[in-house]
Amino acid sequence: MRNIWDTIIGNRMFFLSLLFVILFVVLSLTVPGFLNLYNLTNMTQYGVELGLLALAEALVILSGGGGIDLSVGSMMSLVAIVIGVFIGRVGLSPSLAIVFGMLTGLAAGLFNGLLVSVGKILPLIVTLAGMYIYRSLALIIAVDPQFGPNPMPVSNFPKSFYFIGQHRIGGIPFQVLFIFVPVLLILHFLLSRTAWGRKLYGVGSNETAAMFSGIEVSKVRLTVYALSGLLSALAAWVITSRIASARPDIGTGYELQAITIAVLGGISIQGGEGTVGGVLLSVAIITMLNNGLQLAGIHQIWQLGALGLVLIGSVLLNQFLIRRRKI
Amino acid sequence: MTNFQRIVRRREFTVLILILILGAIFSFTTERFLSVSNISNLLLQLSGVAITAIGMTMVIITGGIDVSAGSTLGMACVVSGYLLLGGYSPFLALVLAVLVGLGIGLVNGTIIAWGGIPPIIATLGMMNLIRALMFQTLGGTWISGIPPGSRTIGLGKWLGIPIPMWIAAFLIAIFSYFLSYRPLGRHVYAVGNNPEAARVSGVNLKSTVVFVYALTGALAGFAGLINAARTGIVQTNTGMGFELDVIAAVVLGGTSALGGRGTIIGSLLGAFLVGIIKNGMVLLNVPALSEGLVIGVLIIISVLADIIRARGEAR
Repeated sequence: MRNIWDTIIGNRMFFLSLLFVILFVVLSLTVPGFLNLYNLTNMTQYGVELGLLALAEALVILSGGGGIDLSVGSMMSLVAIVIGVFIGRVGLSPSLAIVFGMLTGLAAGLFNGLLVSVGKILPLIVTLAGMYIYRSLALIIAVDPQFGPNPMPVSNFPKSFYFIGQHRIGGIPFQVLFIFVPVLLILHFLLSRTAWGRKLYGVGSNETAAMFSGIEVSKVRLTVYALSGLLSALAAWVITSRIASARPDIGTGYELQAITIAVLGGISIQGGEGTVGGVLLSVAIITMLNNGLQLAGIHQIWQLGALGLVLIGSVLLNQFLIRRRKI
Repeated sequence: MTNFQRIVRRREFTVLILILILGAIFSFTTERFLSVSNISNLLLQLSGVAITAIGMTMVIITGGIDVSAGSTLGMACVVSGYLLLGGYSPFLALVLAVLVGLGIGLVNGTIIAWGGIPPIIATLGMMNLIRALMFQTLGGTWISGIPPGSRTIGLGKWLGIPIPMWIAAFLIAIFSYFLSYRPLGRHVYAVGNNPEAARVSGVNLKSTVVFVYALTGALAGFAGLINAARTGIVQTNTGMGFELDVIAAVVLGGTSALGGRGTIIGSLLGAFLVGIIKNGMVLLNVPALSEGLVIGVLIIISVLADIIRARGEAR
């Protein structure tokens, strides 16, 4: 009996799959409106933004050295409003505005990365300051002088802009097939099949050993934070297109969800351990949980409360497993 | 190095000079900055940050962080708000607010010390959990109409200075002495500097860690009561973002996020700096939106300056 229990919680993928199945059955039985094809495919579109941010967070945490990115939500807000203002107020073509948006995310991520890798400041402090800065920039950019001093959302987009976030192919949301899945596959390939991926795990699990093996630790970390900015920018593009509005506070609270998903997915907070597959299962679980709670009419703030519990619980489980292995 | 040089090289001195420069700029550019009502308002607003920063300084000295302080303050506001509204004695409200904070802090400290959970994860989870509980307790409404008689601790003045500032000064004096001269206070530094060495020398790592989080919770609870009494209103988002002001004050005041270094006086000065910037921006009609930008940039500059200085000294 003890052995079975060990296998269940010792194998992260198995444990997550089991959790997924149990949650699926419970929600199907208790929440009306959960188990039908429309809800199940429709739900996946909400997982895309969260999933992209969770992958960003996973990369950063993997790189070790106290790696964490508290600014993903703020970067998402900033990019969303940049895209919105360029299209809705400046009148730029959507494709050009999206390029500027991606560059903004990349720049914000590079700024974090430079301070962490070259400035040698703790990621926690850098990204906390970054969270302040990008959120504030988003609010400032959102002010439309024509309508007074308050930040305003932008929603006058051309129809073509909604394609990414609202179109479906064979019932499956476009952004799932053509944004999330490709990103997932690329990251999986990068982490498991390339030298860069091996370097990242090396830097995350033992910085000193990695340094002596000739890996440029600061370069690897810089790349990871830059990628985090880029992925947040991608999430911003998808969400603005889906909800047809660019709001300067759109990313508020997303950092907690992203961190929770990464950690639940088996990314060790100490760095150097975890896979993209685990994060995918974890995204599915959290998206399903959010959907179930929402259908059951439970207020959104409780979704955050539940996430807080899941976050603490999943790290406790990780720690427990690490100790177990040592014994 | 002479004594004078030693003082000049301290972070506290740099922050003090910055405060004086900003104070001078604001008094010349705005008419209202130096008025009695504005200064008293400024002191009133930063007292909560200054009180909570006492605990946060110790948390950061041990190499940790507590982002749940804002939610803790909010929850204490809810509890004390209901008690004050119900006509119970302010003293009872004070005791319960501090107990609520202490309870939350104890849970934080326990899961960090015994569960081995990184402080950022534990307190981030707690922040959202408490916020949800707060929402549940308030049930989508808010508290207002607390009778003026029960609000003395937040609104009263003694010798022209707001009572919350007197309380902050009193607590800062006590805990500065405690941190510098009492064994447990020294243990806080030891845990942050070199946990292994501290453990070998007989410091109880776990109880020291629990102590700093419990203290931060209790002080945030105290600040919550003061906030409820001062504003007379408690909403679901009361205290949201408060933790960032406290952390900014502590980091600006020279406490190293790597642990092992920092003073409570420094954090008080940091709180003054953040308070003056916010206050001055309002008076200069700079949109409040850029507040985060200024504080974020200031945090990065001050930490970078520290690192560059440390490199210079190491040579």
